[in-house]
Amino acid sequence: MALRSLIFNQQILNNSVPILSQFLQQNGMSQFPSYYIKPIYQKEAQYDLIKNNEAQNYAHLPVRPALVDQTCSLSHDPKISLFINYVMRGGNKALARLLVEKAFETVKRKQLEKYHKAKEEDKHKIDIDPKEIFHKAIGNVRPILQLTPIKRGGVRYQVPVPITEKRAQYLSMRWIIDAAKEKERTLHFPETLANELVAAASNGGKAVKKKQDLHRQCEANRAYAHYRWS
Amino acid sequence: MMTKKSWNVIELLSKYKFWRNSVCTFSSSGEDSNITKQAVNVAQLETKEVGKAMKAYLERAREHDEFMKQQNYEFQVGKRHLANMMGEDPETFTQQDIDNAIEYLFPSGLYEKKARPHMRPPEEVFPQRKAAEFDETGRPHHFLFYTGNPNFYKLLYDIVEQINHLNKYEDSMLRKSNKPDPNLALHATGFQWLDQHTLEKKLVEEISEKNYNSFINAMERLQSLPYSYKAKEFISAYQKPLMSRTDLSDIPKLQYDKEGRAFITVYECRRKDAKGYVTIKSPGKGKVTINNNDIRYFHDVQSREQVVAYLDGDLNVFATGAGRARRVGH
Repeated sequence: MALRSLIFNQQILNNSVPILSQFLQQNGMSQFPSYYIKPIYQKEAQYDLIKNNEAQNYAHLPVRPALVDQTCSLSHDPKISLFINYVMRGGNKALARLLVEKAFETVKRKQLEKYHKAKEEDKHKIDIDPKEIFHKAIGNVRPILQLTPIKRGGVRYQVPVPITEKRAQYLSMRWIIDAAKEKERTLHFPETLANELVAAASNGGKAVKKKQDLHRQCEANRAYAHYRWS
Repeated sequence: MMTKKSWNVIELLSKYKFWRNSVCTFSSSGEDSNITKQAVNVAQLETKEVGKAMKAYLERAREHDEFMKQQNYEFQVGKRHLANMMGEDPETFTQQDIDNAIEYLFPSGLYEKKARPHMRPPEEVFPQRKAAEFDETGRPHHFLFYTGNPNFYKLLYDIVEQINHLNKYEDSMLRKSNKPDPNLALHATGFQWLDQHTLEKKLVEEISEKNYNSFINAMERLQSLPYSYKAKEFISAYQKPLMSRTDLSDIPKLQYDKEGRAFITVYECRRKDAKGYVTIKSPGKGKVTINNNDIRYFHDVQSREQVVAYLDGDLNVFATGAGRARRVGH
């Protein structure tokens, strides 16, 4: 009797603290508590920590495991892997990666062709590294202002406001992908993406035009800029 | 016209009166032995006038003691029964044995471990109660009794005292132009403050969220002082380590094969549901064997990249379970 009463009358009632539900509310469906830090998987970042004597701060912190696409490989680039994720549709990452890699290959072929056709003195001007072209393209398409609707006196004004780094990067990547998708049915995505990247790297193409259009509109609406704070 | 202060005094007085009449409604900490000691002391003083509140408290303490005694007796009997059921010696039956027996007799699939049936000594099952906080005439022992949370406010008081002490110490060191030792500095990382529930248990008092936040702020302020290592003992009483430190001696040693090549085999490599064991040989020619296949065992480039990225020598893997992407994690 003592055993049964202990087990069923007191124990279960006394332990009705909803620990699990609190845990779920704080972290969504993640199996790791909020104090687990994200892994620092790149070698350069690790060397920097050791150099700045900050490595000790991380020594005893619990760390989440690295994601499947995070490696310390030399070929790994976080921005490119983000771009691949933006290209991805329906979770088909293998296809997205294949498309972007094909586009990079096409860029390399085109640039090499240009390089060999160019005169000896112009050759140093031609960039043949697709990664560098990619980064240059992203940097050129990145907007510095955006328009946001603000209601004043019952009228919605499109007010130019500064844009965050992250949003600018997202917009630049999305515009490049959108520009590459605007194509004839007979053309293939990797080819148009390659063309768009090369064009954007030299400040041309549809994506760069989109950025310039936005900037022009911001310039036209500069009279409304004070609505941001008044 | 009355000032605000005088109103407060009246409020306090009325509260005090109320408490004198029905103290036990809010008294709740300490150990049973404390209660009994107090009861004995008061019994000796019976010649003196004992207040109604004290009488009621003594009655309650006696009832609680009797209840605990009964529970303890039942627990001991239950333990002996359980030991006999399991065919073991009741004299040497430990708590660990009890837990194992309960798990065997009442198998439970409940996810929350605390909801599963278990059998523990009554001291752990029933919440601790505070000992009497006032003497036989009804005067409180604790100087912060009227705050309602004496233990909690005493803790805040102690923290501020520590801070003032460290500030004074820092001033004296500055006058001597000494600097704090950077090697002794306390690291904030790797430790976590006691959570609200644990702190409540420790102080035997209910703490509101606002009060808990002020406790955290005060402790962080104390820890951020340059000479906080002087109060290390005090601080660490309210911290718990986030993770036990990895034992360096656990790293397996290198082995050498006939050709003098270094190799190492790690068993029980796990990633989610996938398991496997891995052998790495160095120096090697980058030959990869996965479940008796070459690197084409993985169909997508991402998984292949993961395998090769960390490789400096030959690799031999046997992996089972889950999907291929998970097996890469080894």
